Amino acid sequence: MTSDRSAADPTPPDEAAPGERPRAVRRRGRVILQLLLPALVVVGVFLVPPVLSILAGSVLQEKQELSAPNLRNYLRFVADAYYLRTLAFTLKVSLVTTLWALVLGYLIAFHLVRSIRSPFLRRVIYLIVVAPLFTSAIVRSFGWMVSLGNAGFINRTLLGLGIIDSPIRLIFNETGIVIGLTHILLPFMVLSIASVLQGIDQTLEEAAMDLGASRAVTFLTVTLPLSLPGVVAGSLIVFTLAMSSYVTPAVLSGGRLKVVPMLIYEQYVSVFDWGFGAAMSIVLLALTLAITVLYTRLLRTV
Amino acid sequence: MTGMPARARERPSLVERVERVGGAVMRGLVVLALVYLLLPIVVLVATSFTATDFLVFPPRGISLRWYATFVNTPGWLESFRLSLAVAAATTVLTPLIGVPAALVLSRDTFPGRQLLASLLLSPLVLPQVVLGVGLLQYLTLIGLARTFWAILVGHVVLAMPYMIRSVMATLAGVDPALEEAAADLGASPPVTFFTVTLPLIKPGVIAGALFAFVISWTNVEVTMFFTTSLLNPLPVNIMNYIAYNVDPLVAAISATSVYVSLVFLLLIDATVGLDRFAETRPR
Repeated sequence: MTSDRSAADPTPPDEAAPGERPRAVRRRGRVILQLLLPALVVVGVFLVPPVLSILAGSVLQEKQELSAPNLRNYLRFVADAYYLRTLAFTLKVSLVTTLWALVLGYLIAFHLVRSIRSPFLRRVIYLIVVAPLFTSAIVRSFGWMVSLGNAGFINRTLLGLGIIDSPIRLIFNETGIVIGLTHILLPFMVLSIASVLQGIDQTLEEAAMDLGASRAVTFLTVTLPLSLPGVVAGSLIVFTLAMSSYVTPAVLSGGRLKVVPMLIYEQYVSVFDWGFGAAMSIVLLALTLAITVLYTRLLRTV
Repeated sequence: MTGMPARARERPSLVERVERVGGAVMRGLVVLALVYLLLPIVVLVATSFTATDFLVFPPRGISLRWYATFVNTPGWLESFRLSLAVAAATTVLTPLIGVPAALVLSRDTFPGRQLLASLLLSPLVLPQVVLGVGLLQYLTLIGLARTFWAILVGHVVLAMPYMIRSVMATLAGVDPALEEAAADLGASPPVTFFTVTLPLIKPGVIAGALFAFVISWTNVEVTMFFTTSLLNPLPVNIMNYIAYNVDPLVAAISATSVYVSLVFLLLIDATVGLDRFAETRPR
């Protein structure tokens, strides 16, 4: 027996004493559980059951009545052209918003990371970019309501400068929703592109320029491809958040146009058909998740 | 031999000129984009000081009359107090839940760790309206819907993942050897945590807690499912009001909401720095 415990024994010292390690592991396991307990309670009591209750409600509820499990709420959504048009409109607005946010976001992120040398100016720009994240969507949408109307100051400025002859409709239509949504989601795009741009090795760009590439060619062939992960991540965030926005479309459409989250709210708060509202929530959730998964797959192949 | 000076005197090539003009245009566009980001907030704050009975930008006259009306209207003041109370409670609760979870997720390996991390961070990708109706449906069953607690629970669920990510990002920069040294010197795990770990991760905890306040203070999309005429947090009250009236009073109230947000923005900048905060923010 003693020969087994010789100095040549390769087993690490803490496994030399059997029984010691399992006890330590068990004790650490208990500590881990205690530390996780508050978060587990939040998730296990206030996150998972609510989502499951929507899933259950979508197949078990008709109006507010319980029924045998069925897919009638889903079929009703798919069979009605009005709901499908609303879904298509939601997707369209989200896509247009994502494209605008991408163009503006890339511009701001690129300048923030590459052109701004003064630390003070950089801080100010960061402040301007992040500030919208700290103000309520309702407050910002209200700000746009004041600015975008026919007699609002944007139309008056454009008229005064002679750029337009008569006021253009900027609110209570698709344009208004896109202006408001892009504004709300732009910070996410800027931050996600800026964080990738910051990590790009600038010697790669210098090498391209030394080899005779112009600045534009260097950007298109070196910088842009390297920054794609930030572009993809930012677009994904912006698109999914746009799909699930309620406040901005509700305020800036003036109720004249509807997106899916507005339909869900109506079902729960004014129509009281919770089963149908639940089915629409699941459709929205499934679509958001599907897009996220699809995009992450895409990201892996880039 | 004299190539360099000769080239310097040459007129800039077409490519260089195009790039120079392009650069100027880009800079102009960036300035426009930044103006776009600031515009609605600036317009709102400016109009709130108007002396007129109606909304107008630029404001006519400078007056605090609408702020006075706000302070003297009981319903609005109650909304303001309620929102402050919910946000304060969210700020206190979120670190208690998020910091221990972040410690475990960063420092321990165990089966199911990845799954647990995704679950704890999932409120970031869950549409807020879906969380709202789920909580409404579920809390109605257990009799808690349309209470202070329903709103608080919703806000804590929303703020928790930000807290966890903020602390995990800070922990990634902390050398575990420091904690091991404390343990080797005989400190118990709680003593190690409070004397070594906590001071090191303080910036992450502060940023997470301040942002938890802001998430609660500005939220509409979860809150709106639990409000009643007596339980009406500020942002939801503003939303319901502007569906029927648009006047300088609601501009003054909205502007006040912005001032509170601004204080927290500057607090985060002063304690952890906005650029560091921004790095942990995008999902």
